[in-house]
Amino acid sequence: MKLKQTFTLLVFVLSLFSSLLLNASNSKVPFGIRHYDIGSAQNFTLKDIDGEKFELNNSKGSWVFLHFWASWCGPCRAEMPAIQQLADKMKGENFQVIMVNTAEDEDTVFEFLGSINVELNSLLDVDGQVTEAWKPRGLPTSFLINPEGKVKYQAIGGREWGDPIYVNFLKKLLKPDVKL
Amino acid sequence: MLKIITLMLVVSNIQAAQPVIVKTPEMVVGFTPRTANQMGSFYEARGFPKAVRDVLKQQCFITVGIHNTSNKKIWLDMSNWKFTAGGKPIKREHRDYWKQRWQNMGMPLSKQSTFRWTLIPETLDYLPGEKEGGNILLPFSDKPISITATFATGENKQGEKIVITTDKLFCAEDAE
Repeated sequence: MKLKQTFTLLVFVLSLFSSLLLNASNSKVPFGIRHYDIGSAQNFTLKDIDGEKFELNNSKGSWVFLHFWASWCGPCRAEMPAIQQLADKMKGENFQVIMVNTAEDEDTVFEFLGSINVELNSLLDVDGQVTEAWKPRGLPTSFLINPEGKVKYQAIGGREWGDPIYVNFLKKLLKPDVKL
Repeated sequence: MLKIITLMLVVSNIQAAQPVIVKTPEMVVGFTPRTANQMGSFYEARGFPKAVRDVLKQQCFITVGIHNTSNKKIWLDMSNWKFTAGGKPIKREHRDYWKQRWQNMGMPLSKQSTFRWTLIPETLDYLPGEKEGGNILLPFSDKPISITATFATGENKQGEKIVITTDKLFCAEDAE
């Protein structure tokens, strides 16, 4: 009788445990982020506002938050402080925030970033062709690229990136044993 | 007297060119007409050539915002939108038309890119809760504009279609 009770308890605990595991592996991404498994990230080389060259392929080995924006776009402007918060909260992690300005000149970008008091640098896609090639859903859009250089997620604009729901999600991504 | 009537007509059109919001149980679609000066200033500030701005000033700009308030996927396909002015069909040009036109006019790539990003996408899927939009350009008309937009729903577009209509829109005109 005691053995039967123990067995029933064991089955219950096991089923509870497997159910928890299943839930963990099926856990949904936060609102506004979509699974976007399109394979290898398209490489590009652009200069930033300091004139430094950047090549995307050199970022392999870390997660990349690739953000397309323009200063004329209201949601882009509104989202900037949240991206700064994200960059601050992810400092020291294997995670890079890469911003790409779409089709504006250096002066416009420099002036805008200075006016909103963020420390973020931005790459300059002066003729807009890198943005065209990446085909974001709209502006702003962010892509999440894994350390192997594969695009995994796309996020539509206007996210509160500094919010724990997003920061925790991104920190989970950095753990190779966690599947989201 | 004629001046007063003209003024009244202008005021009447300005008042008529108000935003229109269409709500269904599944979605909210907002239409906001923009005046030639509003759009001209926007593009001028971004260094668009005068020849291009002159073309744009002849268009009827309407900013469209689409919000999926349902719990299913909704599909935007601009080829399923019909437009009339004063009851007669009018054509919305595809973004490829504008691309070609700007190329023919020698517009710099950066300006072409900016212009494209201000347009509503030709196709887009909206997950529950998502909202996105952009501008549509129609031939300018002083007659009432009607829009009938049909959206597919469901993961494979097999769900019940949603049709929204409005006949309360006017192209926005600047006060003279």
